[in-house]
Amino acid sequence: MNTILETIIAPGSIDFALAIGIILVKIAVVIAIALLHVAYATYFERKVIAHMQVRLGPREVGPYGLFQPFADGIKLFFKEDIIPAKADKPLFYLSPVIFFIAALTSLAVLPFFDGFVIADLNIGLLFLLAMSSLGAYGIILSGWSSNSKFSFLGGLRAASQVISYEIAMGLSLVGVMIMAGSLNLSDIVRAQHAYPTGVFVIPQFLGFFVFVVAAFAETNRLPFDLPEAESELVAGYFTEYSGFRFALFFLGEYTGMLIMSSLLALCFLGGWTIPRFITDFIPFLSAVPGIVWFLMKVYAFMFFYYWVRATLPRYRYDQLMAIGWKLLIPLALINILITGLVKAWIKGLL
Amino acid sequence: MPEFVMPDLAPVMPEIVMTILALVTLIADIIFKRKETLAILSIASVVLVFFVLFGTPFKTTFNGMFIADGYSLFFKLIFLLNVVLTVLISMRYLVIERVNFGEYYSLILFATLGMMLMASAGDLIVLYLGLELMALSTYILAGFITYDMKSNEAAMKYFLLGAFASAFLLYGISMIYGLTGTTDLNAISEYIILNGLTANPVVMLSMILFAVAFSFKIAAVPFHMWAPDAYEGAPTSVTAFMSVGPKAAGFAVLGRVFLIAFGSVRMDWSAVLIPIAILTMGVGNIVALSQTNIKRMLAYSSIAHAGYALLGIIAGTGEGLASVMNYLLIYAFMNIGAFAVIIMLRTEGFKGDTITDYEGLAKSHPLAAALMLVFMFSLTGIPPTAGFMGKLYIFMSAVYAGYTWLVVVAVIFSAISAYFYLRIVMYMYMREPKESVSLAATPALGIALAITAAAVIIIGVLPSAVVSFARAAVAGF
Amino acid sequence: MIATAFALGALVVGSIFRLKRPYAEKLMPYESGNPPVGEPRQRFSVKFYIIAMLFVVFDVEAVFLYPWAIVFDKIGLYAFIEMVIFIVILFVGYIYAWKKEAFVWD
Repeated sequence: MNTILETIIAPGSIDFALAIGIILVKIAVVIAIALLHVAYATYFERKVIAHMQVRLGPREVGPYGLFQPFADGIKLFFKEDIIPAKADKPLFYLSPVIFFIAALTSLAVLPFFDGFVIADLNIGLLFLLAMSSLGAYGIILSGWSSNSKFSFLGGLRAASQVISYEIAMGLSLVGVMIMAGSLNLSDIVRAQHAYPTGVFVIPQFLGFFVFVVAAFAETNRLPFDLPEAESELVAGYFTEYSGFRFALFFLGEYTGMLIMSSLLALCFLGGWTIPRFITDFIPFLSAVPGIVWFLMKVYAFMFFYYWVRATLPRYRYDQLMAIGWKLLIPLALINILITGLVKAWIKGLL
Repeated sequence: MPEFVMPDLAPVMPEIVMTILALVTLIADIIFKRKETLAILSIASVVLVFFVLFGTPFKTTFNGMFIADGYSLFFKLIFLLNVVLTVLISMRYLVIERVNFGEYYSLILFATLGMMLMASAGDLIVLYLGLELMALSTYILAGFITYDMKSNEAAMKYFLLGAFASAFLLYGISMIYGLTGTTDLNAISEYIILNGLTANPVVMLSMILFAVAFSFKIAAVPFHMWAPDAYEGAPTSVTAFMSVGPKAAGFAVLGRVFLIAFGSVRMDWSAVLIPIAILTMGVGNIVALSQTNIKRMLAYSSIAHAGYALLGIIAGTGEGLASVMNYLLIYAFMNIGAFAVIIMLRTEGFKGDTITDYEGLAKSHPLAAALMLVFMFSLTGIPPTAGFMGKLYIFMSAVYAGYTWLVVVAVIFSAISAYFYLRIVMYMYMREPKESVSLAATPALGIALAITAAAVIIIGVLPSAVVSFARAAVAGF
Repeated sequence: MIATAFALGALVVGSIFRLKRPYAEKLMPYESGNPPVGEPRQRFSVKFYIIAMLFVVFDVEAVFLYPWAIVFDKIGLYAFIEMVIFIVILFVGYIYAWKKEAFVWD
């Protein structure tokens, strides 16, 4: 930290200050967009599911109910912050913060389009996985500190679910790493663009499948939303939370979905690029800015999230564990072996 | 980026084969319902490894991290022998104790793999790796009788104190690494000599930490507290295994680390080890006098024997090291033999592990009593048996190295030990049987007893073959 | 530079979040939660511990795989075979855990 301060104070460090200023602006933009996006993700979810269930969804607040998320936000903001008497207070205060920070910090390494990334980390992918594990701490601690049976069981379930599927997710990405040769998300996207198929989903279909299933479980979404199964556990680990702390969990979860969708778009669907064989075929598509492609991919997957929620029932807990341990992990391992073999073969090593 | 070169795998072949076979045994456990198959499989594995071992060239590989030489070969033979004898004596015993699980065999193989790595370690990291593999497997083995509180207690104590020992070892490693910047044993020694660090306090402290950690492993006083409880509580076959294998492995690394890495500070570490050795012999032999449980008694006896063996290390000569190796081999035979007799007394509904259970055994089961007599004589060190020869060589090497007074002390303690070993003989031959004791003799147990008794007597009468083998093994050290 | 950017990013994200805390706490009286019945923190199934232990094993494996995957191009066949051996050994443990019904939840 000292060296940073010295660099800033030292004369001639105006470039550095400028760089930091740009980073700050980027951070502000990304967070503003992300939070706005999250707000509207809830709105879209309600609308999509409502239409799937032949209802209309929110339509009272503003035209087509467009201001509904703001109404919700303002309401939650001014709601009373209830803290149970027997709760473990420091942990109770902290756990939504941990959850939310972990989710938001992940945004820092996502490249939204070529060159636009807050922190172009060399270990971006690893960082995302680490943050996703860190979020699990928020969940476990909230379950523990609430001193409520529902929270406790929800926290336990969430903990074992998240760690089980994290292995599958981590392993499913190894194939991508082998192909891209980097953990930097921008490099992964560029590697995909340089690749004949343009996207990794075609050679890495096994990894893609494992990743999609694990992404649902990691974000505690249906059909794997056992930690917050409302029919058995009220709301799971955040049963005791209210007001803005509840909102933090809510925001964190939707940010998590956004991040998983982005990760999917970046690692498997080519991020801001489109496959070269498409642009060769329809040239004018290459004029479309990268951010459009990226967001299209992300939203398509977000829609998939809602679609699944409206379609599939919840799994039993033993089924959940069986899928994670007996199906996804072997599949991911096989995927790694196949990828390694094929790559070694292509390189003429075998 | 440096090009990756395939290291020479030939010297590691025994370990590789051992790993594969241990994994096969693990998988075989879920395939075969009859656990005796696994026992046979593990003995077959060990025999295979035995043959591979003799085809292994004496070389170092993995940049000096792994050393295959006569020294490691000799210790590996002790470990493999230990496995064969342990498996032979435990087949029936596990059924009697109702813990006939297949994991037992794969754990024993993994523990042995750890010991083999320790014996060949030319690098502190490899040493630690082997040590942990061995220790973790034996912790589980000690608590193998899951329904028995004593067994659980044994595992718990062994685990906690073993973890402390590992922490001491790691601390010692980190200090010596911080000072010399290497974990290679030869490089450490060179660095200490080249930079004249023989009086450096960090070297001293690190050496003391190593001494503490290894003393834990060989159950030397004052770091022996876990041993009596662990030996008493653990299944008898595991006690036999633990009192030979990990102890021999502890001596293997003790010899290598102290004679190579700390070779230049020999005077300092013998000053540390001498009081440890005296205390070990003293406490081991004197406390054993008052024991009524034979497993506990043998635990203290095992502590005392570690004390005798330390004399050979303290002597610090090749001859001393050879005598330690010789002694450990003999100890493996006589100790497992004694445990085999104890196991034979363990039948359904009869524990057979107090000393009074041996009253009048000579009347009811003369052969078993005779075998026990041989092992007890050997443990005491009475002439026609191997135990005498083992002690003789150790004491001689210590005398040649100038530690005559230490040998006198050892002989005095050895005389004390005669009391509790011969008490069992006295009980067997001079008392009337209280109740009829039946034996759980099986062919496997018979083979184990035959091997051990024959070895104890043959080595006792003709010790030169083993001793010259041990000397040859040390020659390349 | 990257590390600095990241550290600052994390801090700023944190502080942006923290700005909201005072609002959240404004005018908050204390109120008790649900009337608790019995002891909420109960003993729970040993299965959770097993899962936790298995997680450690597999997560360490994944950590080993990442650097290997990144430099896959440069380290050649030897490293590939070595990693295959590593995965096979792990797989043996996995089969063992499966057969011992570590993944069965009842």
